[in-house]
Amino acid sequence: MISDMDKYRNRDTDESTNNEEKDEKKKGAMGSKIINRIIYALVAVCILFFSLVAYLTYFELFEKNKIINNSYNRRQFEMEEKTLRGSILDRNGTVLAESEFSDGKQVRKYPYGTIYSHVIGYSSRKYGKSLIESKYNDYLLGINESSAVFNLKGKLSGETKEGNNIYLSIDHKLQTLANELMKNMQGAVVALDPKTGEVLAMVSKPDFDPNEQKLEENWNTMVESQSAPFLSRATQGLYTPGSTYKVLTLASALENGMENDIYNDKGTIVIDGKEISNYGGKAYGEINLKTALAVSSNTVFATIGVELGEENLRNISERAGIGEKIPFDIPVGKSVFQYKEMSKTDMAAAGMGQGKILMTPLHMALVSSAIANNGIMMKPSLVSRIETQNGTVLKKHKPEELYRVMDQDIAMKINEMMQEVVNNGTGKNASIKGIKVAGKTGTAENELTSRQKGKEHAWFIGFAPADDPKIAIAVILEYSGSTGGSAAAPIARELISAWLKG
Amino acid sequence: MKSYTRFVKPVYLVILINLMGFLLLYLYKEPYDNITIFAGLSIIALICLTYALILKLEMGDEYLFLIVSMLMSIGFIMLYRLDKNLALKQIIWLSIGIIMFFACYYAYLKINMWQKFLYFYPVVSYILFIITIVFGGGRRGANNWIAIGRISIQASEIIKVLYIFFLASYYTDPDKLNVCPITIKGLNIKINISRQLIFIALNYIFIGFLFLQRELGTAFLFFGVFIFFLFIFGSRISTLIINAIMACIGVVFSYFYFYHIRVRFQTWINPWSDISNKGYQITQSLFAIGSGGFFGTGLGLGRPDFVPEVHTDFIFSAICEEMGIFGGIAVIFLFFIFAYRGFKVSLMVNETFDRIVALGITLMFALQTFIILGGVIKLIPLTGITLPFISYGGSSLVSGFISLGILQAISKKA
Repeated sequence: MISDMDKYRNRDTDESTNNEEKDEKKKGAMGSKIINRIIYALVAVCILFFSLVAYLTYFELFEKNKIINNSYNRRQFEMEEKTLRGSILDRNGTVLAESEFSDGKQVRKYPYGTIYSHVIGYSSRKYGKSLIESKYNDYLLGINESSAVFNLKGKLSGETKEGNNIYLSIDHKLQTLANELMKNMQGAVVALDPKTGEVLAMVSKPDFDPNEQKLEENWNTMVESQSAPFLSRATQGLYTPGSTYKVLTLASALENGMENDIYNDKGTIVIDGKEISNYGGKAYGEINLKTALAVSSNTVFATIGVELGEENLRNISERAGIGEKIPFDIPVGKSVFQYKEMSKTDMAAAGMGQGKILMTPLHMALVSSAIANNGIMMKPSLVSRIETQNGTVLKKHKPEELYRVMDQDIAMKINEMMQEVVNNGTGKNASIKGIKVAGKTGTAENELTSRQKGKEHAWFIGFAPADDPKIAIAVILEYSGSTGGSAAAPIARELISAWLKG
Repeated sequence: MKSYTRFVKPVYLVILINLMGFLLLYLYKEPYDNITIFAGLSIIALICLTYALILKLEMGDEYLFLIVSMLMSIGFIMLYRLDKNLALKQIIWLSIGIIMFFACYYAYLKINMWQKFLYFYPVVSYILFIITIVFGGGRRGANNWIAIGRISIQASEIIKVLYIFFLASYYTDPDKLNVCPITIKGLNIKINISRQLIFIALNYIFIGFLFLQRELGTAFLFFGVFIFFLFIFGSRISTLIINAIMACIGVVFSYFYFYHIRVRFQTWINPWSDISNKGYQITQSLFAIGSGGFFGTGLGLGRPDFVPEVHTDFIFSAICEEMGIFGGIAVIFLFFIFAYRGFKVSLMVNETFDRIVALGITLMFALQTFIILGGVIKLIPLTGITLPFISYGGSSLVSGFISLGILQAISKKA
């Protein structure tokens, strides 16, 4: 048999030498045209087969993720029913969401009710999933390529699989406090670690109870409710930043050598026929930038806005990531700087944070954290690590730079000026004995204030301790009608104080 | 060195795949079922025996059968995992197929007058078509089975081979197709119909019958082979273009006049709009392919049983789910190298008739693979047809081995 195979093998290798003779004959019999066309046919067949491979690869890489979660894919339910969904915990291991079997069915429980509705979201059989529950569904169910191989034993024995646990960077105590401080007001609070970008607390109000039963009871009224309880204001709400935006105008002014300029604040200023006045119409006389920020002078910052011009204003907002998509563990609205071409009044309005600039509270907290972190904005993050049931870490958050908003020396100068805001300016309500707090208030006009007074947004952004920042904060109270200094700053103070002393 | 390389032969890979597959299937479920081991060993035995005979009897290209046996093994493992009883039936079909393989090999070599039966092939085919239409039973919306006793045969699988022989006999010597001038009495008009026109008409009768039986996949397949032949052997490229245009008009026409054709297109373009009904098959197939990822869930660990017709037309989706996209690509490449070997045989052989038959068989396999695989992954509209050597089905498997036997015989001549 071996010798037979050898014979065939030899014949195979001799092919090339025989080919020429054969080709001669073929040409005589069939004409080279047909041989050529057979080769074309081979090429065509080759293309057909490769298009199969190409499409299959394309499908796997780009198409399948769109379709695989379709409710007609029964694999989903089967997988979910068989897997005990993983828990979600805070940074210290407090359980924020867990699943239990009752009567053979899985129930998702949120022990703290409404507090995490805009962080964790919900996982419901009827209404689907949102936020962390949706984005990290695969991890919570333990679906990934590697587990298919490593968990072979578990799969074969058919026992109930347990999903992975997700640890958030949220601190449950701080989150609870923030939730209490917001009371029944509408708005949002975001607190993060400026050096790592980790979110420590994030509250959006109004909120809802994500437990399945409550969700079912309240779904219809909530969907129709004008206060939009399903809107995660901290990440999705777009607000006029008002005077809190002045820190960015200031950064551009410092970069352009305007540090020692003195302005004469007469309380009102007319730019291109439009009158701009300070809050309460107060005139501050001859003041420098530091004082202008501390008293939040609109006339000075409107003037600076015009002096900087369109290019500089646009430039600083782009460096702060306005108009960019901010990567985060849950969906984030895109902050916008909506000018096509700017007139002088537009520049004046932009300089003081009014006009067509809209930002999310998360983004404002990031701006604050960038100043705290020497001008570097860290990528915000909510999930600090993912662990399997037996403690193997699958994924761990690594701090990443997102944007270099300004140089270190500029950031230091703004830091100092923001301390002045809290020490002697509009942000006095945020001052804490023994802790250097930096901040900026804002009282933002919006679509309602043009028609009726007393509907301004109250803003406060800040960080502490100013010389070694450990927490950066943004607070917004929607349509509160009070100033940022009186309404928002105290909330920030309580949170900072709790975090640093706690 | 040479004696060493002889032992690292592809056949060992085929054996290895079978051993691994059946061992997994055996260990997967308790209590252990010894029939699984028996099934695995009998497949290995059949493959080894056939391969040894091919070598011993110097039957030409040994790789043709090796590629097929690899495909068959993958299909058989998957079939056994899906439905044990069907797989055991398939072993019987496989044995019959291998007997037919040898029988056709010798029949083709010994009988040297195949090209003389030009009229025989279409006539027999048409009779078979008519029998199926009159006496045939329906399955899955198609009306294409002839029942003989307890066994039912899919006539189109036999007609595939006859069709290739018909094409080959014509192109070997087109003059054989005698055309008598038609004289209409009294009017004194003589109509000379060209030989080529008659040939084309005969082809369309094949396709028309398939269309009538609602075997769209096979009709599409025959048309594909026909177009390839017009391109390779047709003297004028204009004939090819006219045929292609006519086909397009035909498709548009049938789109508007035949409901089932319209459904095929609609479920291809957007299966999601009617996912519970018309789009059900194809979307379930896509779910299966998508669920596997690149590496698959592992044999026995996915849920390909959610896909309707998974053991025949949709077996590729099951392979993709459990053996991964990489497993699927491996199957595609196996078919491709098989087609490549087939083309090589057709280029090497001297006799025109042999060359055309080899080409026809190769194209038939290649296009059939493309039509069904393209269909289940939604690259082209889905038309039901089996995946050669992999899908469950006696007629398909036996017909596949008949074609393989003939190709083997031609490779011997090359």
